[in-house]
Order: sequence, then C-alpha cells, then structure tokens
Amino acid sequence: MFKLLAIVIIGLLLVSSGVVAQDQPLDEQILLTFVPNVQFAPFYVGIEAGYFAEAGFAVSLDHLQEPEVLDLVAVGQANYGVVSGEQVILARSQNRDVVYVFEWFQQYPVGLVYDRALDLSDLGDLRDKTIGIPGRFGASYSGLTALLHDANLTETDIEVSEIGFNAPEVFCLGLVDAAVVYINNEPLQIQQLADAGDCGAVQAVATTSVASQVDLVSNGLIISRALLDDDPAAVQRMVGAYAKALRATIDNPAAAYLASLAHVESLPREQSFLDMLEAAAEAQSDFLSELPSRAEVADSRAELASQLQSRFGSGSLAQFTILLNTIELWDADQLGSSDLASWQAMHATLQRMGFLGEAPVELSDAFSNQFVVAAE
Amino acid sequence: MQSQHKPGLRPARYGRKWLRMLAPLGTILFIIALWQVIASLELISPILLPAPAAVASALAKALADGSLLKHAATTLEEMLVGLCIGVGFGLTLGYVIAKAPLLENLLSPLIVAFQSTPIVAYAPLLVIWFGTGVTGKIVTTAIIVFFPTLVNTIAGIRGLDPSLADLFRSLRASRWQTFWQLELPAALPVILAGLKTSSTLAVIGAVVGEFVSARYGLGALVMAARSRYDTPLVIVSALTMTTFALALYSLVAYIEWRVLAWRRRSTT
Repeated sequence: MFKLLAIVIIGLLLVSSGVVAQDQPLDEQILLTFVPNVQFAPFYVGIEAGYFAEAGFAVSLDHLQEPEVLDLVAVGQANYGVVSGEQVILARSQNRDVVYVFEWFQQYPVGLVYDRALDLSDLGDLRDKTIGIPGRFGASYSGLTALLHDANLTETDIEVSEIGFNAPEVFCLGLVDAAVVYINNEPLQIQQLADAGDCGAVQAVATTSVASQVDLVSNGLIISRALLDDDPAAVQRMVGAYAKALRATIDNPAAAYLASLAHVESLPREQSFLDMLEAAAEAQSDFLSELPSRAEVADSRAELASQLQSRFGSGSLAQFTILLNTIELWDADQLGSSDLASWQAMHATLQRMGFLGEAPVELSDAFSNQFVVAAE
Repeated sequence: MQSQHKPGLRPARYGRKWLRMLAPLGTILFIIALWQVIASLELISPILLPAPAAVASALAKALADGSLLKHAATTLEEMLVGLCIGVGFGLTLGYVIAKAPLLENLLSPLIVAFQSTPIVAYAPLLVIWFGTGVTGKIVTTAIIVFFPTLVNTIAGIRGLDPSLADLFRSLRASRWQTFWQLELPAALPVILAGLKTSSTLAVIGAVVGEFVSARYGLGALVMAARSRYDTPLVIVSALTMTTFALALYSLVAYIEWRVLAWRRRSTT
C-alpha cells in the first residue's frame, strides 16, 4: 500500500515538475556580431516586446566575431547565431554542419562610398583607383570582389588598401578614393563629417551598393544541423518569434528605437527626442491597426524621418537614421526566405576569391526555408 | 685533490647538464602527446582544437606555398625595426631622466598614462596617423617595447653604487669614461633584463598592429585563416609568433650571458 502510494506521489511530482518545466522559459543565447547597436533592434524588440517570451524563450544576447559565432553554434555551445551568408559557405567547406534558417537582410548591406564629385557610378571607372577595405576577409571583401567581377575588373586593376574599420577617417583624410562600407551606416557618418567641413574637399558622398549589381545571400540566423534534427519545434518557435520581432521593427521603428535603449548605452536619449518617438510609436500602432500595405508603411517611415529632421539635429538623429536605412535592407513581402540563386552567386564570388577548396559545397544543405514558410 | 674528484664528478655533472637542456623539449613533447590524445579521443571537438597532425599538415602546406615565410618576414621586419627604435628611445630617454630628476617629474605623468593604456585601444588610431603600411606596426612595436627599456634604464643607472661614482669623480674621470667604464657596466644587468621583456613584447606590438589592418604579417594571416575557418593555420601562425618571441628572448639572454661574463667571473 505504502509502495503504491509512494509511486503515485513520485509520479505526481514528476508530472508537476514537467508542467513547471514547460511553463518556465527556456534560456537561449543568441550570438551576434559587432557590438550592441541599433542595427540589432529586431532582437531588442523580440526581448522587450515579449515575442521570444511568448515562444517560450528567455533570450540573452552576446557579441563575438563571426568565425567564433559560427564555431560555437557548430559545436552546440550556443543554439542560435547571426552571421553573413558567405560565412556559412566557408564554414561548411571546413566541415561545420550549420544551417541558415532565416535571411535577416534581404539586401546585401555592403557597398562602395565615394566622393560624389568623383562619380564612380560606372564601376569600370574604378580602374587604377585606391579602394579601402577592412581587410581581405568578410562581407566587405566578398562585396568588393562581386562588384569588381560585375565591372569586368579584377583586384589587379585597382589598388586595395587594408584600412581596418576606420573607413570614415581614412576616406576623409584622402588616403583612399573609395571605401567598401556598410551602406546603412558609414556613408551617413562620412556625410556628417563632410557637412561639418571635416572631410577634406568632399562635399557630398555617393554610394553604389553590391545589392544593386548582384543578389548575394546576406546576414541571417543559423543553427546547427543537430538542433534542426533534434528539436525542429523549438527552431520553429524561435524563427517565428524573430520573424514577428523583425516585422514589428520594420513597421514601427520609433517603438524599436525605444526598445533598443535598454540594450545600447550609446544611443542618444534627449528627453524631447524620446517624447516625440513615444508619440510617434503610439500613432504608428493606431495606423498599423488599419492594416496598411507595405508601401504605406514605408511612406509612414519617410514621413516620420522628415518630421524628426525638422526638429532635431544630426547628433540626435544619427542612430535613428541608421535604423531607418537598415530597415530598407530588411524589408520584403516575405521575410526570412533566401533563394538558391543568391547562394550560388555568393559561392561563385568565394571561388573567385580563392577561398574555397576543390571539394564542392552542397548549397542546398546550407540553408532551409522550411521554418520561414511555416511561420507565415 | 681537485684532479682526483673531476673524473668521478664529470659524468654526473654532464648528465645533469644534458637533462636540464632537454627538459624544455620534454615538456613540449609531453604537451604534444597530451594534445594528440585529446584529439584522438575527441574530448574536444576538432572544430575547436584540431589534431597535431592537422596542424603539421597546415604548416607543411604554408611552408611549401611560401605564404608562411612571406607573412613571417613582414612581422619580423616590423618587430626588429620597432624594437630597435623603441629600445633606442628607451635607453636614451631613460639615461637622461636618470640624470635629471626634474625631467622625470615633467614626463612621468605622460609616460605612465601612455603606458597604462592598453595598446589595442590606440592601435586603430595609429592606422589613421601613420597609414596602412608597416609604419603603423613599427610604431606600435616601438611604443610597447619603449616602457620596459626606459624603466629598467632609469633603475639601472640610479642603482649605481655612490661610492664608485665618488671614486670616478676623485679620479677626475671624464663624462664619457664614467659612462663607459662605470655606469654602463653597472646598469647592464638591469637594462638587459628590461630588454628581455621588451623582446617578447615586440611580437605583441607588431601583431596587434596587423590585427587592425594589414595585408601581410602573422596577424593578417591569423585573420585570414580564421575567416576561412582554417583553425590549423591559425595555430601555425600563433606558434610562429611564439617561436619569434622565444628566439628573440634567447638571443638577448645569450647576449646577456656573453656581455656579463665578467660578472660571473668576479663572483666566483
């Protein structure tokens, strides 16, 4: 009798602990690159607006270099990471079995910045020019290689200068004719320097994005093959939550900026500016309840930018403008989906760079849209 | 009596000498063996820690295609030129400061503040100031080796026995004679100790600069290898840096041993 009672009690305890465990959010670390920055706003929105919590996750964010993000995901020390597409191909060529499950940037964020007076809009004019890149690695180098190929040029036709992540300063000192940069961010910084008269003879800058020439797979969410096989339901919940957070950021950038304040210490937080953003965020929520089209939402962002520019200087607005610029690179009718052609274009670029060995990389294994489709 | 002892003592003494010489090699072999065991048993993923055989293969490949030599030569050039400049400035300023305490009062806040800032913090600025070529890396190296040389030079010169200085004065020795025959020999042990520290720091200075921006150099090779997920090549690059640091340290230690031979003789 006592034995039976003990079994029942233990059983009840196990069941109740299981229920508690189900209710408890699962701790998940998402590994990002760079440093905390408004460009990671969708992740901050996911946390602050509760999208991750609704999906059963207590998400924490960490920032590492791309190869470290990828290796830690590959060996299962973290379940989720964000890297650029070329890293996935390179890593898979070195036996890292990772899978790209959500394309965050629909447009490749890299491009050339140059003095508008120089007019390098015809890429053939790059011949004999000095081009600054952070180094011969990463998305910038891939982007430059793709641009040169598109212009029927090779690296030998130009002078490549490794300038580290100092493009605004090096460009304004006149050490390079053009620089490969993240087009959502650095051209804005350079233009601000030019406006202040701190960029030599440069009055205005122009950009040519890689995305305008070729569709390369860009930054996205990765997981390990093991996680995909072992717990696809969890991956589905994470992708779904992130898709919602990304859409919320695109639809309401003022609210996204306010959510980012808790995560990015360096964001300007002048009270009058924040008050206006709060009012804008509220108004945008009402507007979104009318189910506007994507184009109408884009118009609302432009209108907000215009209103803010009339009231605030570039010091207060710079980070918000970077967010708006970046949203243009994320926005699409269907978020998260990547296509084989963009992977093939990136693969071909990496081959031109001599970064891939002779062993073929099976691109269809490198990405999956199954969770994106299910999330829609 | 001495000649009777020698034949009996020699084999043991030589044995101990050989044992001491081979001890570091034994440690290295033990670490490689342990590393191989860890890799064979896959206690750590090969993604994080490749096997010694994979590293050896990467080394052979990098040597065969000439890439390792090309990158290593660049780093070596930056190290040696930076070391010479930094040590030269450190010795000169150290001597002057040791002789002029007021100058120390004037310069010490600047020197200490500059030295206490990690070099990685201002390495990106050096790219802007000195361009993207080797100059910035040479300056980084010179800065990092300057301080130990400076401090040890000051300590060495100031640690001089005052009675010996009085003796030279009473003998009406010229400034040059005092420097060459008293101050330099007396300060050399401390200065050379500083130079040993500087020689190992030189590698760090050059590589930090290369991490910020470089086409060639072991730092650039690490960045390139890492971006291609070629972990064995990263380890090859790191081991080459270690070899450079050890070689420079050993060279200075050898110079110290030769230059200070008089000191050993005088103490035995």
